Amino acid sequence: MKRRALLRAGALAGSLSLAGCSSLIETRAAGVPPVPEDRPDGIYHPSHVEGMSMVGMGTGGDYAVGLMYSYPHRFWNVNGDSVSLTKIESDDAVHLMASVWDPETMTVIPDTGLSLEVYRDGSLVSQEAIYPMLSQPMGFHYGANFGLDGDGTYDVRLSVGAVSTRRTGAFAGRFAEPATIEIPFEYSESAKNELSFERFDEAVATPGAVDPMSMEMLPDSFAPLESNLPGTVLGSGTSNGARLVVTALESPPAGIEGEASETPQGTYLAVSARTQYNRMVIPAMALSGTLTRDDETVYEGAFDRTLDPELGYHYGAVVDGVESGDGLTLSVDVQPQTARHEGYETAFGGLMGGMPDVSISVP
Amino acid sequence: MPLDGDTDRSRRAVLKAAVALGGASALSACLDRTSDEPVPAGDPNAKPTGQHAWREYVRHDDDGNSQLPSHQILLYLTLDADGPPSADDRDALAATLDALDRAYAWSHEGLLHSIAYSPAYFDRFDESLPDGVDLPEPRALSPFESPTLDRQDAVLHLASDRADAVLEADRALRGERADANDVSVPPLTDVLTVDSRRTGFVGAGLPAQHQDAAGIPDSKPVPEASPLFMGFKAGFRENQATEDYVTIDDGPFAGGTTKVIANLRQRLADWYDEQSHEERVMEMFSPGHAAEGLVEGVGDNLGSDSGIDRFVDALESDAREYGRVGHAQKAARANRDADGNVRLLRRHFESTDDIGSDQEVASLHFPSLQRHISEFEAVRRAMNGTDLTAVTPAVRQRVNNGILEYIFVRRRGNFLVPPRRHRALPTPRPE
Repeated sequence: MKRRALLRAGALAGSLSLAGCSSLIETRAAGVPPVPEDRPDGIYHPSHVEGMSMVGMGTGGDYAVGLMYSYPHRFWNVNGDSVSLTKIESDDAVHLMASVWDPETMTVIPDTGLSLEVYRDGSLVSQEAIYPMLSQPMGFHYGANFGLDGDGTYDVRLSVGAVSTRRTGAFAGRFAEPATIEIPFEYSESAKNELSFERFDEAVATPGAVDPMSMEMLPDSFAPLESNLPGTVLGSGTSNGARLVVTALESPPAGIEGEASETPQGTYLAVSARTQYNRMVIPAMALSGTLTRDDETVYEGAFDRTLDPELGYHYGAVVDGVESGDGLTLSVDVQPQTARHEGYETAFGGLMGGMPDVSISVP
Repeated sequence: MPLDGDTDRSRRAVLKAAVALGGASALSACLDRTSDEPVPAGDPNAKPTGQHAWREYVRHDDDGNSQLPSHQILLYLTLDADGPPSADDRDALAATLDALDRAYAWSHEGLLHSIAYSPAYFDRFDESLPDGVDLPEPRALSPFESPTLDRQDAVLHLASDRADAVLEADRALRGERADANDVSVPPLTDVLTVDSRRTGFVGAGLPAQHQDAAGIPDSKPVPEASPLFMGFKAGFRENQATEDYVTIDDGPFAGGTTKVIANLRQRLADWYDEQSHEERVMEMFSPGHAAEGLVEGVGDNLGSDSGIDRFVDALESDAREYGRVGHAQKAARANRDADGNVRLLRRHFESTDDIGSDQEVASLHFPSLQRHISEFEAVRRAMNGTDLTAVTPAVRQRVNNGILEYIFVRRRGNFLVPPRRHRALPTPRPE
């Protein structure tokens, strides 16, 4: 929009200050660098990183949520094998981000549904189911771009769906109900424009990632350190930026149901998936594996998405024991069904597709 | 001649009332209709025994699908006092409903109406409903909804193709005028208080006329031919229960039925702007419908049957292959009895009501009739598709899971529609 048109609009609306106009003219959107050319097939250093600001936090039911905002973002949506760019729309005012966690263990809950209503003075401004996303600075979160009706106080209602992902250990039976949590959002365009906007030069499009950004009071979405994983870590491998760490527990955690709803006997193999470089948890894949012993297959099947307070979010299967020399091959059958911020859209399958199998040999 | 015979005055009155109904469609309906046609008066002795007997009295399309009355109003009603209603209350309400029967022919050109009662209403009595009547309190039916529960005593549903008829009846019932279609109508409000008044419309053209409502993108995507905001026909004859099937067949409420009414907010920006017609067909019907190109435009070519039964068994394989599943496909698996009969008779209509505010927001009033409320609950749970989120992470709680991404349940109430003979404030065991 031209400056004069803006001034005219401001005069008509009677609400835009001159200062507001000048900040509108130098919109940050106009300055968003293009998507880097020659992106590698994997995690890469993005062209820029937007700062973000905490809006507020709240609790309800079994959940705590944090709401943050930033400039509107471009991101890539993932549906099955398809990865498509969602551009910034002209009426997008902010990118709203939410994090959901268990206030007792501070574990981030990465695999539920989240929808968000935005009200101003009791009137609906927007309502959307918002998408799970992965970004380099923040890791896993839920996010979407939203239009707003200018500066003012908004009420944001976040509705967290009950978790249908298998829960184990102290999480068994928890997160079974939805909850709605309301957080007020004082929005001003000028405050938004104070958020940092960092551009990069040489590093852009080279393999690597920007550093994680930590928010005060907010649990991060790191996967556990290898050394902190329960059980015996058998090995790890990387598939298109997704590092898969395999640990073996002597018995399955409570909450794993076999046939007849009884906890099955056997060794529990857990695969903890995390981003290369930043160790952010990677949820929402379909993973399967084959365990072989002396050229015989002793397990072939799914590694189910599971949320556990000790293991974190992981993919698990019960096998009939593991022995030294066994071979385990892990295959990603469906790439992580999370939207991607820049720098992740070519990784974990992504735009170029393909997540090679990971094979480890049991030591 | 409408209303009181004075063309100009009545025209103004109709316009004013139409505005109250909430928007352009009612207005244009009033202007467009053949206004010289009188609204047919009723013969109280010519009414069917079931209040829900509408099928024979509405329009049908060339394929025999019911075309529900264009204009509809729901009045949610409460009794002021605690405890059971008095005989006087009962007589007064009976007189009001009898007057409506005299005022209007039981027809889409006159007025179809039915009153239904909630579990909270029957709780006013010491005695309980007969065992055969399945009328639990309303509740959340998905793992991601927290609806406000409609627990008013009763709901009166008015429906007509004549906006002037439905509006006049509504005003008379609420005491804003003394008569309806030249018949004196004692106001309902002598006995009951209107807690909530909800309005809507259905039929080709009306959703397109209302697409300025919030929730529908500015691209004006709703086709003129579509009877509903989402761009497709629904309620094909072969995919609906018959009125007989949903009718309670024994006990004091034999001839009645149960009714669930939900209100859903619709958010159709991504539905229309991010998806092709083919993708919408996948999510509304099934991926197979899209693969075989079964749905043209709004789906008139489907005739009297969406063909959904053929795709129910493919749910899991569709989830794996396409990464998404269809709404009708999910619901249908719980919407058939052992003999293959459809269990629910859905009579939903569109609205721009945003209950609790004056805003115009696209929404859907979803009345469903069935013999047992539990049948509705089973179908709704099947529609959640929670099991399919375990098949592949591509199908999520709301995303790629039928139309769940675009609809948000805000209200739900359960009601018993008594047969006509017991429609006025019945006891739980009427004689």
